Amino acid sequence: MKKRAEAIRGMAFFGPALVLLTVFLFLPMILTLVFSFTDFFALNPKLTHFVGLDNFAQILKDEYFRKAFINTVCFVIIIVPLQGLGALGLALLINKAAYCKKYFKVAFFLPVVMSLAVVSTLWMQIYSPEGILNSILSNFGIAAQPFIHSASQALPSIAIMSAWQGVGYQMIIFLGGLQAINPALYEAADMDHATGWQKFKDITLPELKPLCIFVFITITIGAFRMLVQPMVMTGGGPSYSTYTMVYDIYETGTVNWEIGLASSMAIIFAIFVMILTIIQTILTSDKEGENENKKAKKK
Amino acid sequence: MKTKKQKRNNWILVIIMLIASLFFLFPVIWMLANSFKTDAAITSDMNSMAAFIPPALDGSFFDNYITVLTNTSFVRYMTNTLVYAAVLIILSIIVNGLAGYALAKINFPFRERWLMIIMLLMIVPMETIITIHFLFIGKLGLLNTVLGYILPMIVNPFNIFLFRQVFISLPDEVYEAAQLDHCSPLKYFFTMVLPMSKSVVATVSVFTFLNVWNDYLWPSLVFTSGDLLTAQIGLNAITSNENTTMGQTLAVITMVTIPVIIIYSFFSKQIVEGVVSTGSKEG
Repeated sequence: MKKRAEAIRGMAFFGPALVLLTVFLFLPMILTLVFSFTDFFALNPKLTHFVGLDNFAQILKDEYFRKAFINTVCFVIIIVPLQGLGALGLALLINKAAYCKKYFKVAFFLPVVMSLAVVSTLWMQIYSPEGILNSILSNFGIAAQPFIHSASQALPSIAIMSAWQGVGYQMIIFLGGLQAINPALYEAADMDHATGWQKFKDITLPELKPLCIFVFITITIGAFRMLVQPMVMTGGGPSYSTYTMVYDIYETGTVNWEIGLASSMAIIFAIFVMILTIIQTILTSDKEGENENKKAKKK
Repeated sequence: MKTKKQKRNNWILVIIMLIASLFFLFPVIWMLANSFKTDAAITSDMNSMAAFIPPALDGSFFDNYITVLTNTSFVRYMTNTLVYAAVLIILSIIVNGLAGYALAKINFPFRERWLMIIMLLMIVPMETIITIHFLFIGKLGLLNTVLGYILPMIVNPFNIFLFRQVFISLPDEVYEAAQLDHCSPLKYFFTMVLPMSKSVVATVSVFTFLNVWNDYLWPSLVFTSGDLLTAQIGLNAITSNENTTMGQTLAVITMVTIPVIIIYSFFSKQIVEGVVSTGSKEG
């Protein structure tokens, strides 16, 4: 009897979340999967047919989706080393700095506080042809650049801006990791008269390796989901040079109402992101277990 | 211990980093300094150091800010977002908190399986299903309504999991004592469980606030026009208006950032803890 009462109580507590999970997560996921095999067009739902894998075949041939996919991959390739190594470098330097530590942390973290829409609006001014960045560059004898107004520079410009915005976040994660390294390791190395480089290579890097994997994959996933920056700054242009996968899903589904096609794109996108997430979970789960143990021992 | 040479090296490093930090922050410094200028002054200062120095403090110093606050719907958009955030914080603590508590402490059918499903849901990127959300909300006739905006955002697998991880370590003795006092389960949850877990409640509140404040795609889909826009969508509406000057644009984006700076300065501990425990921030 008591057991049944507890079961009812449990479902009552879990119920509200379950209803919302069903309506806004399970059902949309199932529908996305189902729609991806149909030509569902939201403005004329009655004409929907099952089309098998046609959508996927069409997408793979579609010029814009291919462009969007390549752009997304290029964005990942630029931003991951820039932001990941930048964050690691900053963390190492700040950890070394004897004074103004707190100021450095706040200064390099500040752009993280700004939203993507704010950063994009600000950098539209910075990147403007007569803008402040071109004015600074001219002091170094560099000619005015078109930045987001040219098909060849728009994507790298957005990548640099995004790395600038996000680098402080991973810097804080790395600083936490650096501080968790046992100082006895460095003391032992000092006794052996190890150089700074040797200490970095043989102690810091191996100790930070799990964190590095975690951070680099996190940045990769974030970069795959890039959308707001081109939406605000370029509208995907010039000539589709900043059109991304999520941008294509968004335009196909909510602007052109081709839900079937958009669902197929969403499935492809989701597979990529989920594989990355699973790799991340597998590669970092052992380390996190260790960290938990360390924390527990400290307490 | 420290030799003179080491001390000198320390200072060199700090000075190099100070210069680097100024270069790094030049967009922010430029934004602040020029948000107080007229467009003519911004353009004429562009090629000198004056570009990074605010103008003289005179009667027209705050003109851009005053124009934005009085001539546009900016205040309205800011208030909207604060209200949405407050409502969503309360709802998400109740809904996700109750679910997290059930998963942590109450024995109900398939509990372990539900927990696993919640953890699996955490890896699904929201962009995948946002088209369907848009379709649903449109079918329900809730486009351009607050309810339509809020409904899909309440439940969050991350928050359920976060609550569950904290609630599982609550001592059972307190619950047994409360039962002897004939305390109902709901009352126990609100008067005992939540107050005992202030830290996770704060973490979820802060992350919900930041999510609502910074979100762009979903509000841009739901709110097609008018008075209901959030600050991020509103700032785009204001700054893309032809009559808005560059100085006013900079004033708008400065003001939109202020609430987030306040949140970060008060809750930096919770945020850093959240960063380390969940690893990624939404969006």
